[in-house]
Amino acid sequence: MNKRLLTLLALFLTVITQAQVRPVSGTVYDFDGTPMIGVSVVVPGSQRGTVTDENGRWTLSAAPGETLQFWFVGYDTLEEVVGPDGTVKDVQMAITANVLDDVIVVGYGAVKKSDLTGSVASVKMEAISDLSATSVDGLLQGRAAGLQVVNSSQDPGAASTVRIRGNSSINGSNTPLVVVNGFPMGDAGALTQINTSDIESIEILKDASASAIYGSRGANGVILVTTKNAAEGITTATVKHQTLISTLSDKLDIWYNPMTMAQVTNEEMVNAGLNPLYIGQTIGGIYYPSLMEIQNGDWSNTNWVDLCLRTPVTNSTTVSVNSATGKSALNLNVNYFSDNGIYKKDDYSRLNLNLGYKYNILPSLVFSTYNVFSFTERNVCNGLEYGRNPLWPVYEEDGVTFWTAGPTDFSHPLIALRDKKDNTKGRDFLVSGALDWEILEGLKLHTQLDYRYKTSVQDIYEARTTSQDAFDNGGIAKINMSVYQDLLSETYLTWNRKFGTAHNLTLMAGHSFNYEQNRGLYTTARGFVNDVLGNEDMNAGDPELRQIYNDGYYVSKLLSFYGRANYSLLDRYLFTFTVRADGSTKFGRNNKWGFFPSGALSWKMHKEPWMEDLTWLTEFKWRASYGISGNQGINSYQTLDRYGSEKFYHSDKWMTVIGPGYEVGRTGANDRYMVWGGIMNPDLKWETTAQADLGVDISAFNSRLRLTADIYYKNTYNLLREKYLPLSSSYDKIWVNDGTVENRGFEITLDGDIVSTRDWTFSAGVVLSANRNKVLHLGDAISSGLSTDQRTGMLYEVTGPAISMFNQNASILAEGQPMNIFYGYKVDGIIQEGENPGFIDPSALLDRPGELKYADLDGDFAITSKDRCIIGDPNPDLTASLNLRASWKNLSLSVFLYGVFGNDVLYNGYTYSPRVKSKRWTPDNPSTDFPSLNSIRQYYLSDYFIQDGSFLRIQNISLSYDFRLDRKWLKSIRLYGNIDNLYTFTRFDGFDPEVGLDGIYWGGYPKFRKFTMGIDIQF
Amino acid sequence: MRKTILATAAAALLVLTGACSLQETPYGFYSGDNFYKTEEDAESGLMYAYNALNYLEYLRGIWYVGDIPTDDMYPKSDEPGDIHMLENWTVTPNTELTQYYYKYCYIGINRANMVIDRIDGGSLPESVRNRIVGEALFLRAWNYFSLVRTFGRCPVTLKPISSLEQTTSPLAGSIRELYDQIIKDCEAAIGRLEPNKVFGRVDKAAAQALLSKVYLTLASSKDYGAPGYKDMDINVADTYARAADYARHVVQDYPTLYGFDPDLRHIYNVYAPDGPEHIFIMSTDRSGTHEGMYTKIPLQFLPNNSSIPIFIKYPDGTLEKGNGNGWGVFLIGDNFVTSTYLTTDKRRTELIHRAIYNQYGVEVTPSPVRGYFTSKYVDPDFIGERTSARPYLIRFSDIALVLAEAAGPEEGYPLVDAIRGRAGIGPLTPGLSLADFRKAVIDERKRELAFEGNRLFDLRRTASVTKTVQEAGSLTEEEAAFYPIPQREVDLNPNVPSSNNN
Repeated sequence: MNKRLLTLLALFLTVITQAQVRPVSGTVYDFDGTPMIGVSVVVPGSQRGTVTDENGRWTLSAAPGETLQFWFVGYDTLEEVVGPDGTVKDVQMAITANVLDDVIVVGYGAVKKSDLTGSVASVKMEAISDLSATSVDGLLQGRAAGLQVVNSSQDPGAASTVRIRGNSSINGSNTPLVVVNGFPMGDAGALTQINTSDIESIEILKDASASAIYGSRGANGVILVTTKNAAEGITTATVKHQTLISTLSDKLDIWYNPMTMAQVTNEEMVNAGLNPLYIGQTIGGIYYPSLMEIQNGDWSNTNWVDLCLRTPVTNSTTVSVNSATGKSALNLNVNYFSDNGIYKKDDYSRLNLNLGYKYNILPSLVFSTYNVFSFTERNVCNGLEYGRNPLWPVYEEDGVTFWTAGPTDFSHPLIALRDKKDNTKGRDFLVSGALDWEILEGLKLHTQLDYRYKTSVQDIYEARTTSQDAFDNGGIAKINMSVYQDLLSETYLTWNRKFGTAHNLTLMAGHSFNYEQNRGLYTTARGFVNDVLGNEDMNAGDPELRQIYNDGYYVSKLLSFYGRANYSLLDRYLFTFTVRADGSTKFGRNNKWGFFPSGALSWKMHKEPWMEDLTWLTEFKWRASYGISGNQGINSYQTLDRYGSEKFYHSDKWMTVIGPGYEVGRTGANDRYMVWGGIMNPDLKWETTAQADLGVDISAFNSRLRLTADIYYKNTYNLLREKYLPLSSSYDKIWVNDGTVENRGFEITLDGDIVSTRDWTFSAGVVLSANRNKVLHLGDAISSGLSTDQRTGMLYEVTGPAISMFNQNASILAEGQPMNIFYGYKVDGIIQEGENPGFIDPSALLDRPGELKYADLDGDFAITSKDRCIIGDPNPDLTASLNLRASWKNLSLSVFLYGVFGNDVLYNGYTYSPRVKSKRWTPDNPSTDFPSLNSIRQYYLSDYFIQDGSFLRIQNISLSYDFRLDRKWLKSIRLYGNIDNLYTFTRFDGFDPEVGLDGIYWGGYPKFRKFTMGIDIQF
Repeated sequence: MRKTILATAAAALLVLTGACSLQETPYGFYSGDNFYKTEEDAESGLMYAYNALNYLEYLRGIWYVGDIPTDDMYPKSDEPGDIHMLENWTVTPNTELTQYYYKYCYIGINRANMVIDRIDGGSLPESVRNRIVGEALFLRAWNYFSLVRTFGRCPVTLKPISSLEQTTSPLAGSIRELYDQIIKDCEAAIGRLEPNKVFGRVDKAAAQALLSKVYLTLASSKDYGAPGYKDMDINVADTYARAADYARHVVQDYPTLYGFDPDLRHIYNVYAPDGPEHIFIMSTDRSGTHEGMYTKIPLQFLPNNSSIPIFIKYPDGTLEKGNGNGWGVFLIGDNFVTSTYLTTDKRRTELIHRAIYNQYGVEVTPSPVRGYFTSKYVDPDFIGERTSARPYLIRFSDIALVLAEAAGPEEGYPLVDAIRGRAGIGPLTPGLSLADFRKAVIDERKRELAFEGNRLFDLRRTASVTKTVQEAGSLTEEEAAFYPIPQREVDLNPNVPSSNNN
């Protein structure tokens, strides 16, 4: 295909050179009307060019209809077409608008970058427009200071984890709010509905001055997404296509040699005091050959990897039309995205249609609408067992029936591929309309109405061949449906007035009403005669085993009033005050309204008379802000009393019985004990974050060097926590506001346009963010059910997922410590022959040579729970990125490096990994790094499993070439290729240290190295 | 123009604000706002209060508290958890099993309080109100009676708890105060209820039965000088008389509803929960989908036969099927079996076993049976682990023995002898003194009501824990009289002192 395009291109070039060329001339003036010397005048795509003389005159050869380009450093490039009579109009050059004059979108308005008082980061869309991702949020990694993006899942359609300035909530959400064209779309990380190429700008609101205008939803920061508007008088159509092929960046961690596997298995069983497995015996109907037999090679060495996995390919095609003529402007952007995962049949596809339209009803009245139609489909077929025993055959001897290791073996990957169904189809529609009316000079009204309708249908069938549960139940079929609706009405007035030359005042006031409704229906049927129909006829299941579960009907309403005042004095001293009042149905009866004020001031120091001599300094601005924002974190109805229900056998039938007390969880061995909640708390309210920020913006050398630095302190209090109640109350827990978390840190963004000439450009950008997180208070120790570290008295609470390898949860929240630190034992190497381990194990198992040498911290010569301590911190000390871009004429190259430093990762399953097992301790190989094999050893969570998760990744290298054609119906073609995850520098032993924020590595397959080829054609 | 805009904006704002009430209306779940409105609601709410007893925390607690700490039952040695603290009399405020038993008594109380509070003030017909509130009053009394006998003085609340401020209930002024409340509730229940025998529910007879047990506990505790009661201002004879009065009503007033079941094994027949013996029996059924709806009681008692169903062989040669995957937790002491029962006592020969059989009646060897076990809780038609076996909460024989003990020999002999006769043993030695007769009745209770959650309370009210139970031998009777209030109550309820409360 690319070849064909090149041929076309050659053809066009020929056409151009054949045109009638003759001398043409003209004059170039500066913005003030004086003639301009040294301006380059060229015919693009040809060798013809000249520069203006001291009178601004120029002459060159050109044909009528050809476009001339006028270029001068620091000025906007202009184009002029040679008229049919061979004349060219005189042109007047304009100084390139300073970056400081860029308009930055903030909540309910926009300001010039130079007038910003809050901490707002803008992401340059051109840096990410060639990259492929499920959602645009995933591309923001390393692109803005203070924004942390983790892409830890490689599943098709997987979402990203996004944080702004750290975690501040324990039980509530920590995810920033995403607002698209003024409509709150919800949590960041999965903005799949909006096509990347339809986005004009992304702004990250970080400090309270910027985010407090979003009130009870602003505490985690806000990401504002603004979509494109067609430029006046221009119609363009663009077709973009990119294909991405992924390869594994490392070898899979499985047994490649069945002999090693058998030896290791025998050794770990013998060491555990069990009989070896591979001695030529039949257990449970399965024959385990002896090592000799394996050696002789009579046994299959099945390549399960090829049966389970494939080369992941992603395709994305976008067609967009942008047109603005006369009174109306249209933006249409259609994208089809398909992502085939590494597991066969594991895929994701999506069709998005984004449609924007604008109509000037009157010169002062503009109607605009933005609409999103998104269709997604996800087939889940992950977790196929590619590491299955290579000695096991695929088929029975008949070559057709799949061979399984006995009746309880449900992990044959081809059976799962054939018999499992898990398909989710989603629809997400957003329709919005807005009116902008300039009522009077300086007085503007904006009103908008948005409606979002989102549904999902999930079909699941587990045939009886696929799991014990499905086998026992005769197949399990499910249909899960959910419907979500969201209505937003938003209206605000903006009034701007200058008083004299010194005072400039802008006032904004508005209100919004937001109605959300969510409902779901989940049905399960079991006990089918056979698996033929799957979940197509739920009625065919056993009527006794049917279940219908609907999670109710959640309605919430948010009524808000907000306002902002911007005052600038002498264009030097800028003040901003914002306030928002949020009334939410989710809040308790006694706390329906929350009030979120903020204030900021900014000082343009470079405008002071005593700084004016420093002409090389374009900007030197100080910013300081303080404000309060909230985190709703509460689900609907959480503040109400809620009755529970049970079934009670009465008069020979089951009766639904109802009353106070509602099961909110389970506890105890095998989750046998119920946890009771459902008591109302009319005082329950939002979590509150108070944040102070001090920042400086410096730019120099005509804005070619730009520095933004911020330090901040965030204190989040009234955390949503569960408090225990006296037993005699008959309730176990109640939601309360208690506890405090702080985050502090700094952010530096440094950009430099180092080389900027006509043909060459080279720019570099560095982004550094450091955040320190600390849990200050977890609430009252007793009523919060906190545990105490017996040696230090530290109060803590267990959190995070349970890890079966260690039979415990990995992380704790402890007062005075960062969130989610690891808590466990210390290990000091491997016990060697004849060495005193320093403790005695009553069972004489853990103190043998080859075992992990646990440290006996309390000196009682035994390893008990008292020997635990903090063994790691998953929170990074620093995240950094370096972005280099160079271009020569139409060829450009960019390199993007991303690094995370100073975080710990817990390698779950480390000693179960074939790679590690091969290096085990034996008496003959007294390893000091790896323990001996033992198939029944109970591991304690220890720092042996904690590794340094720092990494520096060559995240992306991208090369592109623009063919500027400027034909009437073909403007340009752009070809590009890029490589994602070229190489990662790390000391981490697993495949990839980029794991979830809890720092737990779960194994799996290596990180993809992705190769993308793309083409953009603009008509 | 400007005015119009402002007016429109103001009007729009007002409309919006008005239309948008921030009050939350629950949808899809019941709450105080939308429940207890109709008779069906009331019925359902009442059953929810009954259902509090069905949770395994309470249900298993019946034996954990009533039998494990006594001489009649002990747990298998490798049973995990706190059960050995009960067995060994080392219960602390942190013992999980007593803590959960305590918690579920209060869950039952809160559910009953809600019914009483909402229905009594409501507009349902008086007859309906009386029945529903009467049963709820019974359940409240039942749970407080469980609490006071197990923990002594404890927090008391008669109002439903529905806000954070209400969650720290005051401690009862004294044990006596708790009893006064229980008596008041029982009397009110008796006044409101009619005789109405329904499996799983209580009626007037049950309320009278409960009150007779309450009075007997007070009278005998004072009589025997039980700690916590000995200094109470109680007229022993008068209180015995009251116990006798109420028990007499139960024994005499409802011959068509309640009486001795002539067939000993029929009492424990899982298909006969409506037999004449059962004044109050827990409602469960194996067709339920989770524990509490069905029970796993037989698994607690029956030995493990590697999942092959076992058969119990009765002296008449009949076989009864039972779960083969029993856990065998609740074992009966060898000494208890031999020293408590005559060898001919049917309660020994028919209800206590040492061997298991296969379907052909051949004994399973080598025997997996680790100790004596009872067949009072067997469901031959179990489905997996699901059974219909039920705790026997109040039996007619219990109340007959209450009457015998309270009223004394004259009225008591025929009742005791009827029970002995049913068990195939001879009558009680005639001519016993009142004190000796009462002791003999308590002995008969030990035989008749063994493994039914009664024994501990009989020992405590006769101040004979320490001399009867070997594991409690080193304690004083004061130490054995009540279990400590659970730690979470002490920690979180400022009204409850940390030192022992009685």
